[in-house]
Amino acid sequence: MKFQNTIALYFVIILSFMGVSKAQTPSDAIMMHQRESCAALIYEHSWFDHYWEGTKLRTNGTIETVKRNTFLPMIAIGIFDQLNLLIGAPYVQTASTEPNGGYFNGAKGFQDLSLALKGEILNLQLGMGKLALLATAGFSTPMTNYLSDYQPYSIGFGANEYSLRGILQYKLDMGFYGRVAAAYLLRGQTEAERDYYYNNGSYYTAWMDVPNAWNYNAVAGIWMLGNSLKLEANYLGIKSTSGDDIRPYNAAQPTNKVSFDQVGISAQYYPKAAKGLGALAYFSQKINGRNTGKSSQFGVGLTYQFKI
Amino acid sequence: MKNKFISILFSACILLFAVFITSCEKDMPTQADYTDYSFSKIDENGGNWNPVLLDSNTQISIPVPEVVNSSAYQGELADLKSEASNLNGEQREAIEYWTNNSILRWNEIALELIAKYNLIPGPNDDDTYTLPNPASPEGPPPFPFAHPPYAVRALSYLSVAQFDGLISAWHYKYAYNRPSPYQTDNTIPAAYVDNGIPSYPSDGAVVATVSKTILSAMFPLEKDYLAERAEEHLSSLKWAGVNTQSDIAAGSIIGDEVSKLALARAANDGMKKAQCPKPVSDSLQAAAFDRFGWKWQNIEVPPRPVGLTPLYGQVKMWCVPNVLDVRPPVPPAPGSAEYEEDVTLLKDYADNMTEEHRAIANFWQDGLGTYTPPGHWNRFAKEYCIKYKFNPLRTARVFAYLNMAMMDGGISCWDAKYYYHYPRPINQIEGFKTIAGTPNFPSYTSGHSVFSAAGAEVMTYMFPNEGSLFRDYALEAAISRVYGGIHWSFDATVGTEQGKNCANYTLNVAKADGAD
Repeated sequence: MKFQNTIALYFVIILSFMGVSKAQTPSDAIMMHQRESCAALIYEHSWFDHYWEGTKLRTNGTIETVKRNTFLPMIAIGIFDQLNLLIGAPYVQTASTEPNGGYFNGAKGFQDLSLALKGEILNLQLGMGKLALLATAGFSTPMTNYLSDYQPYSIGFGANEYSLRGILQYKLDMGFYGRVAAAYLLRGQTEAERDYYYNNGSYYTAWMDVPNAWNYNAVAGIWMLGNSLKLEANYLGIKSTSGDDIRPYNAAQPTNKVSFDQVGISAQYYPKAAKGLGALAYFSQKINGRNTGKSSQFGVGLTYQFKI
Repeated sequence: MKNKFISILFSACILLFAVFITSCEKDMPTQADYTDYSFSKIDENGGNWNPVLLDSNTQISIPVPEVVNSSAYQGELADLKSEASNLNGEQREAIEYWTNNSILRWNEIALELIAKYNLIPGPNDDDTYTLPNPASPEGPPPFPFAHPPYAVRALSYLSVAQFDGLISAWHYKYAYNRPSPYQTDNTIPAAYVDNGIPSYPSDGAVVATVSKTILSAMFPLEKDYLAERAEEHLSSLKWAGVNTQSDIAAGSIIGDEVSKLALARAANDGMKKAQCPKPVSDSLQAAAFDRFGWKWQNIEVPPRPVGLTPLYGQVKMWCVPNVLDVRPPVPPAPGSAEYEEDVTLLKDYADNMTEEHRAIANFWQDGLGTYTPPGHWNRFAKEYCIKYKFNPLRTARVFAYLNMAMMDGGISCWDAKYYYHYPRPINQIEGFKTIAGTPNFPSYTSGHSVFSAAGAEVMTYMFPNEGSLFRDYALEAAISRVYGGIHWSFDATVGTEQGKNCANYTLNVAKADGAD
């Protein structure tokens, strides 16, 4: 049910990995060069009809299938060859399929502005490939006064997030690559519109603590067709470090301990004829979780690279 | 060179994180922030106030206390001194927590239990529903489902028993005038400010015993937890140097006796029958349809066969002689001009949801998993008893009349709900959606409106210096349900009048109880 976390995290992932991986040059560059920029627009659709209440997988006729559409414009800017700035500003729409037993209105609006600085610390030839070590420092903050305490329709968790991520990639010169990343997501508090809530006890405040989380990522991929097509299989793991479980047949709330494992595939294509243009598509599926929807999602997008 | 620049930038970011995070975190209080205080008055004549359940302030008898220079009492003082002078950190915390007006703490505990148990049972795998069963409280689902009618009833019995117990205690306190231990022996450290109230019997012991007993009956799965809290509370009276063992024993007698009376009333007040079987529920629906040509239906998935407590309207009232005395008039018939106006209004609110309306709908929602609307008003009562430095007896009086008025209001509201059986907006308006959850009972009148108006009337009487504050709250709570999309505007306006009417009966009793 605490679905927005997935999405917010997905943005971070996308921002960190997709927006800056390009195939415009024959090199193995993961970073945008200085004064280069890559803009992207991604549409994502996700849905779930089962969710984990604590660790128990269940359905709920009140919400039936919860759908979510995300429009994510973003840009990656090469400040230096080894330092990129990434900006994203998603617009999110949620609703249940009809008929359902709850008759709840969905929600929509701009979610969180996310900013990230990505630095390449190391990139060296090692044996038959290149080893790259990168780090990302990210910050995201709600752009609008959306209500986080409106699960499962809320469009985000409504709190600031500070993230630090380490990325290690080894890419064979022949095109195969593997990448692992780990991040710590430090979340702040979100303000509800009620000043009492239960979180294993009474809280007499509108402020809710959004749990911090670990984020793990593993990717295996290949560049093909003369570096114009990239195919990836990926894994995403989220582990909240605190929080309460959704109570029986009750709505989720931002204080919940959200964890999940998700696997997916993605493709990026950069036709040689259309200089600077690229297209991407991905699909992912949660396979295990706690206090979150067992969601599937697919996304499609366009990227455009240009000099500034 | 650039690598160095990058590492500096990253370091700066990390530093910024730390600064942001430490500066932006808000306090998250889990209880009222108050310590012992000087009471605005001590109500020496409180023993003469009219109790609710007791026939008289001497109905419960306690032993005549030993005089202070007796060897028995001197022995108690010696025990107390040794206990109070060797306190560990936990014991000091307990003294600070329970303070000298523990009614507030027990009310807080009650609200927390309500929030913990206010979970509606979900459907079974075969789409049936199982009701919580007091005979096997473990469930699933656990007993009780502490919905608003259940919650306000639990709070009523708790508050009324506390009030009667303290009237009885006040009577004996001033009949026997036993000074506080630390006045008889000034080497005994006193943890709280001295209010000069005699110590026999212990008012704290009355409150601890009553609260534990009533709440254990209302929340049977919490029996051990409550016994533990009561044990700590009773011990803290000694650690704080305010009561000796005989003060506590006498207070506990009163607490036990008054609890028995309260629970005897509760056992036969009709609540057991409130969640009636389907045939009875269906007959109420059919009767309304015959009479008025409309009916409410649960349209959850899967549908619940019976609404929430259809016969709560027949539960014994505290101050209103007959529920028919306060039954509201017939609501506008679907299709009438007044009804159509409301359909337009509701659609307009839903289509043009403002942040203000949304915030109001959410602030007063007090839905599943929370302390319910009656709980919200108990929270206000707690805050204003602290603000006006009420003593425990006067605090108990506020809660008793507040909760009696709200329970009578709730009973009257439920009478109207199942007599008129009026459909909800989602039953009537094609494609209508809400931002609040539609509850499992008919629409007319709004429970929030009745509870809040009844509560506001009592609060306005108890705290006259607050002017129109509470009535304004009640109006906002009432309209919040219309903003939320789950009530018609006439559910709210008529419900507000209904709440006021019910509270008038309560206030007539309060005004004559001798406290003014």
